[in-house]
Amino acid sequence: MTADPLGGAITVATVADVPDRRARRGSPRRRAAWLRFILVTAFAVVVLVPVGTVLLLALHPSSSGTSDLSGWTLDAFGILSTTNIPHALLNNLMVSVAATVLSVAVGACGGYVVSRSKGRAVPAYSASLFIIQALPVIVFVIPLFVLFARIALVDSLTGIVIVYVAAGVAVNTWIMAAYFDTIPVALEEAAWIDGCSRFGGFFRIMLRNATPGLLSAAVFSFLLSWNDYLAAAVFLKSDDVKTMPVAIQQFFQQTGADWASIMASAVLMIIPPLVVFVVLGRRLSLGGLGGSLAGK
Amino acid sequence: MTALLLPSLILLALLNIYPLVYAISQSLHDGNLVQTGPFVGLDNFTAVLEDDRFWAATRVTGIFAVAGVLGSWLVGLALALTFKAGLPFRALLRGLLLLPWVIPVVVSAATWQWLVSTPSSPVRVLTRALGAGDVLFLADPKWAIITLCVFRIWVSYPFMFLQAGAALEAIDNDLYEAATVDGASRIQRFTHITWPLIRKSTLISLLLMTIFTVNDFGSVYLLTGGGPAEATQTLPVLSYLLVFREFTSGTGVAVSVLMSVALVLLSIILYRQIRKSE
Repeated sequence: MTADPLGGAITVATVADVPDRRARRGSPRRRAAWLRFILVTAFAVVVLVPVGTVLLLALHPSSSGTSDLSGWTLDAFGILSTTNIPHALLNNLMVSVAATVLSVAVGACGGYVVSRSKGRAVPAYSASLFIIQALPVIVFVIPLFVLFARIALVDSLTGIVIVYVAAGVAVNTWIMAAYFDTIPVALEEAAWIDGCSRFGGFFRIMLRNATPGLLSAAVFSFLLSWNDYLAAAVFLKSDDVKTMPVAIQQFFQQTGADWASIMASAVLMIIPPLVVFVVLGRRLSLGGLGGSLAGK
Repeated sequence: MTALLLPSLILLALLNIYPLVYAISQSLHDGNLVQTGPFVGLDNFTAVLEDDRFWAATRVTGIFAVAGVLGSWLVGLALALTFKAGLPFRALLRGLLLLPWVIPVVVSAATWQWLVSTPSSPVRVLTRALGAGDVLFLADPKWAIITLCVFRIWVSYPFMFLQAGAALEAIDNDLYEAATVDGASRIQRFTHITWPLIRKSTLISLLLMTIFTVNDFGSVYLLTGGGPAEATQTLPVLSYLLVFREFTSGTGVAVSVLMSVALVLLSIILYRQIRKSE
């Protein structure tokens, strides 16, 4: 492979995966790759200032200027014993895990039909999913609030799980349908010949081969319910059902914000999605959510 | 096989279609959240359309969407092109650059608030050092909109980066080699190879991001609360405040129904684009 005299951004695409191992030390191509590295790193540093701020203020509360604590300390995490934050974290986890499992299950079933059925209603169904997904959440939240108030689901964790499942079903159906499309029908047919039922084929063959799709849908649902503020603010009123996004609001007072507690809660809130991303990130397809959306 | 469709059909009917129908009916009635008042026809809609706050919110939503979508697209595309060209530690950098997308909006709005409103924060120190003095990022109406748009770009660029990355990944590298052999310049390679091949998926990402941004309640409400003095009030925030603060659910829901009409049109365009690209 010869060195590229232009060192252009697009030209070197051919060596994208091994930019420096093959090129000779000090070659223009190698230098261009390092130049890009420096630019991207500089950009990342600027972009990550807000993330660094969270850590700094949580571990070094005196930098917020509103506290008399000094130096590095874990004192801000005292909220774990003095406030309802641990309870809110637990609520958040339970709600997100339940909503994720349910909406992935429902989405996988629906996605299978959208992918395999040749029925005439299927394209219409998939189009209506698409339109529903584009509507503002607030349009659903207000009527659901009225409905849930009648059947005692306001201010309950069950109620909020139902809201999140409903919010995630459309996209999950698609992610799964797009993934099932990539699994050859021949695989299922073989199972049918061996005496497997249609359902057996779905559970034993399709689901087992759709792990990346299931994971993408799960990550999407988890982030959706973990990060939501609007529905939680509308539906969860009493302290024992609050999830983190609403529980954190108690530290914003008229008299000023308790930044140390806010940032300590923030650190706790970042950890679960971060773990999900670090553990599963590599197994998700590069397009992730968007790729699957656009593919169907 | 259709039995598998049942769970999602039931969910959609109960939790999406029913609320939608209910919302439309609510927009045709007077009353508040708890009690539906008398049928008033299109009165709520005429009231909304004659209200300056609605048009102000529409304008802010427009600025927010255009700046947020185009800004995040440019950043995302620039990053994707740089990554495609190759650089050391790409997996690590890619992971770090996706962080703004993973972080809950409650958290990012809080840290941005601290950064722009605390006099001793690095952002404020920097603006003073640049001679801009003490910029009131959230208290000055003009700056509040700019801050909000920059925040939204910060939240959305990772998605656009992933989308553009996936589109670029699909381009056959031989095309570039052939073009290089033929003496095409870097710009020509972009305009004649890259752009035509990613145009379709770019359009889809732009439309999707427009829908996400117009619907974004959390960023606006948590960062500026619509203030100062309604200067950054977008349509979802206006709708929320009308229903939950001013207790006029008829007009509040009418705002979101009007928004929905626009979004349905947008999603139909998007759907047809996606179908065509298959």
